[in-house]
Amino acid sequence: MKTVLVTLLRRMPMPIIAMLVGLLVGLAVWGVLDQVQSAAVEQIFHKELRARLDLRSRESLIRFNQAMTNYAATTRLLANHRRLAQYLEPLFWFPEEAIEPVVYAGFRPFWLPDFFERNAQLTPSHVLLVDSRGQVREIYQSGPEPVPGELLSHTNQWVSSSSEVQTVLGRFGTQPYLVVSDRVEDAGGYLMGSLVVVVPVNAEFLAASEGAVSADRSAVALIDADEQRILASNEPDFLVPGTPLEQFRDDFLITSQSLPDYEGSNWNMLFATFIHHSSVAKMSARVVNFERQQRLIAAAVFVCVFTLLIYLVSARLNKVLKRMSRFSQRALGIAQPGFQRGGNQLLMLEEWIQHFTFLVLRARDEMSRRHEHQLRATEALKAAIMEASLDAIVTLNREGRIIDHNPTAETMLGFDPAAIIGDDFARRFLDPAEHAAFVGMLLESIRTGPGGGRPHARGELWAQRANGARFPVELSIVPIDIDGARVYTLYIHDATKRKRAEREIKGLARFASESPNPILRVTGDARITYANAASEPLMQAWGTTPGAPLPPAWAAEVDAALTSGCNREHEDDQGGQIYHLLFVPIPDLGYVNIYARDTTAVRRAEQESRQHQAELVHVCRLSTLGEVATGMAHELNQPLSAIVNYANGASRRLQSGIGDSHALVDAMGQISSQAQRAGEIIRRLRALVGKQPPIRSAVDINYLVREVCGFVQFETSRLELQIDLDLAAGEIPVDVDLVQIEQVLLNLVRNAIDALAERPLGERILSIRTELYQGDALVSVRDNGPGIPPERMEHLFHPFYTTKESGMGMGLAISQTIVENHGGRIRAQSQPGVGSVFAIQLPVAAVAAEAAADAAETVPAAPPPPAAARGERRPLTETLSSTES
Amino acid sequence: MHTEANVFVVDDDEAMRSSLKWLIESVGMQVHTYESAQAFLDAYYPGRAGCLLLDVRMPGMSGLELQAYLVRREIRLPVIIITGHGDVSMAVKAMKAGAVDFIEKPFDDEALLGSIRNALQYDEKQRALRAQRADIAARLAELTPREHEVMNMVTDGKSNKEIAAALGVSAKTVEVHRARVMDKMRADSLAELVRLVLIARGGTT
Repeated sequence: MKTVLVTLLRRMPMPIIAMLVGLLVGLAVWGVLDQVQSAAVEQIFHKELRARLDLRSRESLIRFNQAMTNYAATTRLLANHRRLAQYLEPLFWFPEEAIEPVVYAGFRPFWLPDFFERNAQLTPSHVLLVDSRGQVREIYQSGPEPVPGELLSHTNQWVSSSSEVQTVLGRFGTQPYLVVSDRVEDAGGYLMGSLVVVVPVNAEFLAASEGAVSADRSAVALIDADEQRILASNEPDFLVPGTPLEQFRDDFLITSQSLPDYEGSNWNMLFATFIHHSSVAKMSARVVNFERQQRLIAAAVFVCVFTLLIYLVSARLNKVLKRMSRFSQRALGIAQPGFQRGGNQLLMLEEWIQHFTFLVLRARDEMSRRHEHQLRATEALKAAIMEASLDAIVTLNREGRIIDHNPTAETMLGFDPAAIIGDDFARRFLDPAEHAAFVGMLLESIRTGPGGGRPHARGELWAQRANGARFPVELSIVPIDIDGARVYTLYIHDATKRKRAEREIKGLARFASESPNPILRVTGDARITYANAASEPLMQAWGTTPGAPLPPAWAAEVDAALTSGCNREHEDDQGGQIYHLLFVPIPDLGYVNIYARDTTAVRRAEQESRQHQAELVHVCRLSTLGEVATGMAHELNQPLSAIVNYANGASRRLQSGIGDSHALVDAMGQISSQAQRAGEIIRRLRALVGKQPPIRSAVDINYLVREVCGFVQFETSRLELQIDLDLAAGEIPVDVDLVQIEQVLLNLVRNAIDALAERPLGERILSIRTELYQGDALVSVRDNGPGIPPERMEHLFHPFYTTKESGMGMGLAISQTIVENHGGRIRAQSQPGVGSVFAIQLPVAAVAAEAAADAAETVPAAPPPPAAARGERRPLTETLSSTES
Repeated sequence: MHTEANVFVVDDDEAMRSSLKWLIESVGMQVHTYESAQAFLDAYYPGRAGCLLLDVRMPGMSGLELQAYLVRREIRLPVIIITGHGDVSMAVKAMKAGAVDFIEKPFDDEALLGSIRNALQYDEKQRALRAQRADIAARLAELTPREHEVMNMVTDGKSNKEIAAALGVSAKTVEVHRARVMDKMRADSLAELVRLVLIARGGTT
C-alpha cells in the first residue's frame, strides 16, 4: 500500500500534486470555516440586532416623549396667549359651592386658538379652564366624549401647582390620557387660573408620535406594568388594547421601558416596542448566506493561487535541478546526475542532494586526510623550532593573554607552565614602568612596515621573572591574523649578558681615565701618546704635553725598559712633589706604560708621624715628671717644716732669754743641714726636669739606674721597699738620649712600684739588674707583684692600653718607641702570682764596645752567672724572647 | 702652766722630731719624741697627762691607725694630727675619730702652740672630771640599798611624806635615812646632793 503510494507520488508531476493538494486544503478550509464562521456570524448578528432593537425602542420612546413635550409647549403657549388674557381680563368668577362649567362642545372658544392643528398635533379631546381655586369653569370638548369624571372630581390633583408646565400620564377607566396643565397669569404676574389640556393616548396618538419619523413601522404600545396588559398601541389591529402581553411573546421581540418623566401619575405604565420575529429571522438568514458565498469564493481563490505558486516553484526547481546536475558534473566530475529525469521534482531533489552530499563527504574526507598530513608535518616543524629556539617565544591573544609558549620561555621567565595559560603577559612579566612601552610596541607591530614589509615591532624592555628579578630583554613582536582573530607572537631575547658585557667593556675603557694616579703611554722614542687627567700635574712638572717627548732622563729609562722587557721602578723627587714611577714595557706594540703615584703625602705623613711621636714622648715625659715631682714636693716639705720649727724655737728662746748659746748654735746647725737636705731634693728634681735637649751621648747604664732610683726614693720609702740593685761590676756605656732612656727606666720602675702596692708590707721586692748580654746592655726590672694575666700580655705595648685607674696607657708604648729608636728592644714576661720582668736591651756604645768586650774577658765570672746563684731569674730572662715585640 | 704638761711627738722623720721638741720646749713644755707609733705605745703608760702630736704618714702604724688604737684602748689623750699635705678626707676622718686639731706642715708656731695649750687644758679638765666622778662613785658605794632608794627619791624631788608612803615606812624613818645620805655624800644641801648625783650619772658640771 505504502509502496504504491510512493510510486504514485514519484510518477506524478508537481503541478498535479499541487492542484490536488490545493483542492483538498481549500475544501478543508471551507468546511472548517463554515462551521466556525456561521456560528460566529450568527452570534455577532444577534448582538448587533439586540443593540439595534434597543436603539430603535429608545428612539420610539424619545419620539413619544417628544410628542408629549410638544403638547406641553403648546399648552404653555396657549396659557400665555393674548386671547386668553383678553378673555380673562374682564371676567371674574365668584367662589361658589357648586358650579356647572360652561362646555364648548364641537367648537372652539375665543381663548383657544387652533395651535394644535397648526402644529400638526392631534387636537386634544378636552381643554379645561380652571379658576385660581381649582374649580373647572369652562370646558372645550372636541369629540363626543365628555370629560372623564375622575378628572373633574379631582381637578386640583391635575392642575399645575408651580409656575412650570405639569405634564402627567394618567388613566381614566381603561384609557390612558396625557394631562398637561399650566398657570394663567396676567401681565402683573397675578394668578388668574389654569389651563388643562387632556389628550387621550390611543392608537392615533401613538401613530402620530411615531409615524412622522419611523420608516420600518415598528409597533409601540403603553403597557400596564402590573397587569402586563396592553393599554394602547399604534397597531390596534393586532395589538388589541386590553390583551395580555403574554400572547405576543412568541411572535414579537418586546422591549419595555419606564417613563421616568411622567412618574407623577398614579399608574404604573411602561412604554413597549414590538418587533416581529419573522423579520429578524429573515435578515439573519440573508446575512449567513452572504457570508457563505464569500467563503466559497475565498476557498476557490486560495486553491487557484496555491496551485499556481506550487507550479511556479516546481518549474523553478526543475531549472535548479538541471543547473545543479550540470554544476556537479563540472565541479566534482560526476558523470551521472544520480537521479532519473521526470517525475516528482522534490523527490528528485532529495535524491540528488543525498547523492551530492555523499560525494562531497567523500571528497572532504580525502582532502582532510591530505591536509592533516600536511598539518602534522608543519606542526612538527613548528614544534621543533619552538623547542630549539634560544629565545623565549610567547604567543598572546588580542587581550595580551598568554596562549602558548616554548620551553625557553619557561626557563627564562621562570614560571610554572601548568598555570600560565591565560595570564596577562605584561602584568606578569614586564616591569610595571614598561607597560606603556609594551602597549606601544603592540600597536606599532600591526602597522605595515616601511616598504610593505611584514608588520612587526622591535624594542628593548625590562622584563621581570616570576620571582620578581628584573632583567633587560630584546623583544620582537609579530602579529598574526588567524581566522579573523589576531594573536601576537613575542620573541624574547635575554639581553642581560650582552648588557653586562657592554657595561664591562665601557667600564674597562674607563679604567685608565678614572684612575686618580697618573697613567701615561709613551712610544719607543719617549713621545706621550696617552695621558689621563690625573697626569696633568706630572706633565707640567716635566714640562711636556701629550704628543711631546719626555725629559731626556726619563726617555733613557723608557728605552731601557723596552730593551730589557722588564718593569722598572723609580722615585721622582721634584722638591714639592714626590712621584713613584713604574715603567711597564709592551714589547709587541713598542709602547711603555708609565704608572705614576704621588707619594708626597705618604712621605710627609711619615715625617709628621716621626714628629708626632717625638711630641708624644715629650708629653709622656712631662706626665711622668709631674707625678714624680709631686712626690718630691712632699718630701721637700719635711726639711722646710723642720727649718721653720728650729727657727721659731730659736727666736722664742732668744726673746724669753732662756736659751743657752750652745743649744742655739746646735739649732742653727740643724737649720743649715735641713736646708742642705732640701737643696738635695731640689737638685734631684732639677736633674729630672732640666735635661731637655735630646742629645745622644755615651753614658754608663748603671749611672742611669742609680739616678732613676733617686727619683723614686720618696715613693719607695713610703711603700717601705728597698730597691735591690744588682748592677754590673764595670761600666756599660750606651750611646743614648739620656733623658729618654731615664724616662723608660722610670716608667718600668714606677710600674713595678705600682704593682707592688698590692703586696703586703715586707714582702715587696723590687730589683734592678744590669748586665752585658750577647754584646748588648741589658737592664731588667723585676717585681714580685701580682703579675700580668696572659691575655693582657699581647696588648701590653699597645697605646692607650692600661689597667690603672689614672694614666693614659701610653707609658709602655712610648717606652717601646724610645727603645726601638735607640736600636734596642723591650720585652716583658710575667707569671701571674709570681711577678713580672721587664727588660730593655740596648746596643753598647761603639767606642766603648771594644773596651766592654775586654772587660767581659777580664771578668769572666760576671756574665753569665751560674744558674744556681741567680735563682729563677735566669730562665725568666732567657725566655723573654717569647714575648718580645 | 701645768708643771706636768707632757707633749708626746710621734714622727718618723728625725729632723721633724727634734725640731718640734726644740720649738715646743721653748715655751717650757715637756716634750717626749718617738720615731714610730710602736715606740710610743711601748713607752706610754695610761694615766699620763698631756697631748699627742701625731704625723699622719708613717711607715708601720700610721697616725690615724694609732689614733683609732688609742680610742679602742680608752686612752683619752687629746690628739693633734700633723700632715705634710692638706688632705681634706684624711682631716675629716681624723676629726671624726676624736682629734682635737689638724695642723698642716710647715707650721705656724703660734697656731701649733695654741693648739697644744688648748689640748692640755682640755686634758686637764677631763682628768679632773674623771677624778671627781671616781670620788662620788666611792661615796655612793658607802650607801645602803635603802639609803640609795631614799636618795634617788629625794633627788627626784619627792617630799618625805611621799617617800614614806612609797616605801611603807614612817616619815621619821625617812628623815633618819635622808640625814644619813647627806652625811655620807658629804652634801651640805639638797642642791649639792642633786649636783653630785648628776655628775655620777655622767653629766658634766
